[in-house]
Amino acid sequence: MGYAIKTENLIKRYKDKTAVDGLNLSVKEGELIALLGVNGAGKTTTVKMLTCLTKPSGGKAEIMGIDISKDPDGVKRLVGVSPQDTSVAENLTVKENLEFMADLYLSKDKARSSVERTIKAFGLAEFENKKAKLLSGGYKRKLSIAMAIIGEPKVLFLDEPTLGLDVLARRQLWHEIEALKKDMTIVLTTHYMEEAQALADRIVIMNGGCVMAVGTLAELENMTGKKGLEDVFVSIAERME
Amino acid sequence: MRRTMVFAKRNLIEVYRDPLSWIFCIAFPIVMLIIMSIVNSAIPKEAGNTLFRIDNLAGGIAIFGQMFVMLFTAIAVAKDRNGAFLTRLYSSPMKSGNFVWGYIFPMLLTAVIQACISLAAAVVISLITDYSLNIAGLLFAVVAVIPSALMFSAIGFLFGTFFNEKAAPGICSIVISLGAMVGGIWFDVEGVGGFMYKLGRCLPFLYATRVARSAICLDFGVSEFLIPLGVVVLAAGVLTALASIVFDSRMHADQR
Repeated sequence: MGYAIKTENLIKRYKDKTAVDGLNLSVKEGELIALLGVNGAGKTTTVKMLTCLTKPSGGKAEIMGIDISKDPDGVKRLVGVSPQDTSVAENLTVKENLEFMADLYLSKDKARSSVERTIKAFGLAEFENKKAKLLSGGYKRKLSIAMAIIGEPKVLFLDEPTLGLDVLARRQLWHEIEALKKDMTIVLTTHYMEEAQALADRIVIMNGGCVMAVGTLAELENMTGKKGLEDVFVSIAERME
Repeated sequence: MRRTMVFAKRNLIEVYRDPLSWIFCIAFPIVMLIIMSIVNSAIPKEAGNTLFRIDNLAGGIAIFGQMFVMLFTAIAVAKDRNGAFLTRLYSSPMKSGNFVWGYIFPMLLTAVIQACISLAAAVVISLITDYSLNIAGLLFAVVAVIPSALMFSAIGFLFGTFFNEKAAPGICSIVISLGAMVGGIWFDVEGVGGFMYKLGRCLPFLYATRVARSAICLDFGVSEFLIPLGVVVLAAGVLTALASIVFDSRMHADQR
């Protein structure tokens, strides 16, 4: 199995601030990794670089073997993104939002079948003719993720997908993300420990734009001698200070 | 092209589901047409003021309505830029050309529909006021105002690219007021002369109004139709190109 994502010394600088500082990361195809860190750790900037939303200041990154700096259009055809803020067309219905995104990526016939399939998979049938602006926060987020996967991406980026959701909506969304794991590589950014613990095959702990530790939960527990991701995280964070 | 049309469809739905679009793009020009016709009926014939006569008024209103299309283009672009929706689309295979024409096409269509409705309303008013309007001229005017529709859409697109959702409508309101004044829609700017006329001649609005009025009268004279049309086509071309360049550079700047 090859690597879906490979970065070598990836750097992003904004004037005098370094948001991502020499990121080295390899993600296997079909893997779900969680980028875990406090605000300003560099998670979102990493996602932005890997989805060609922002250009790296240095280093190299490949998505499914395609260089993000040399062929951003090629990369854009392979990735799906659900940004941190819910990004749906408010006056379009759920179905129209999905049709819109599907038509941008797929042929007409394929787009139609993909819309039907996605509506079913995400349990959106009940709301398919409802305008996006009338959906609850949880369903809006669900729609946002559905829009990200409808183009059948090889790599899916979910930036804080459950931020601001209540516990029930969050749990429901976890089930949707779990179900996607078999079909694509997923990069999830979060600062919820339990989310990373529940969903991720591997966890990347970031701070100050750097990767502090990478591994499965068991590996991280062994590394720190602590039990549970929260204690592992605190232990790594304290070591840095 | 396909992605442009997909995006244009989305923008068209967004505009048509916003009640304000109907009020400002369709209802308001018709209301102005009715009010100004009432004003015209109150002006004594001896005054010799033909500005609000339905054949002149219809052309002016057609251009006035397009100014609101400019406003809605600016709001649509600024709103998308401020939200995360455009961020999602930047990560899709869409190119800057898809964005530019995806915003402009639905606004052009809106402007054409608006012109048809306004001119149809003018026919009704002409029947009520017993003034004979040239139907061929009205049909020709629908086509003749397309370049100015493109020009106003491009101006709106530029403002939406430069300014945020709060600033863009304000800037557009200034242009609407200025355009209506120096464009000769509400008074005879040529007759007023002086600075007002000089300013009018430097801006494309007066030429746009002349094109619409001349088309309705089927007056294809060089100074009354062809030169004004040339100015409007040139302004539309330059502003559309400028809008494309500015959006492209903004899109790349956002990705820095």
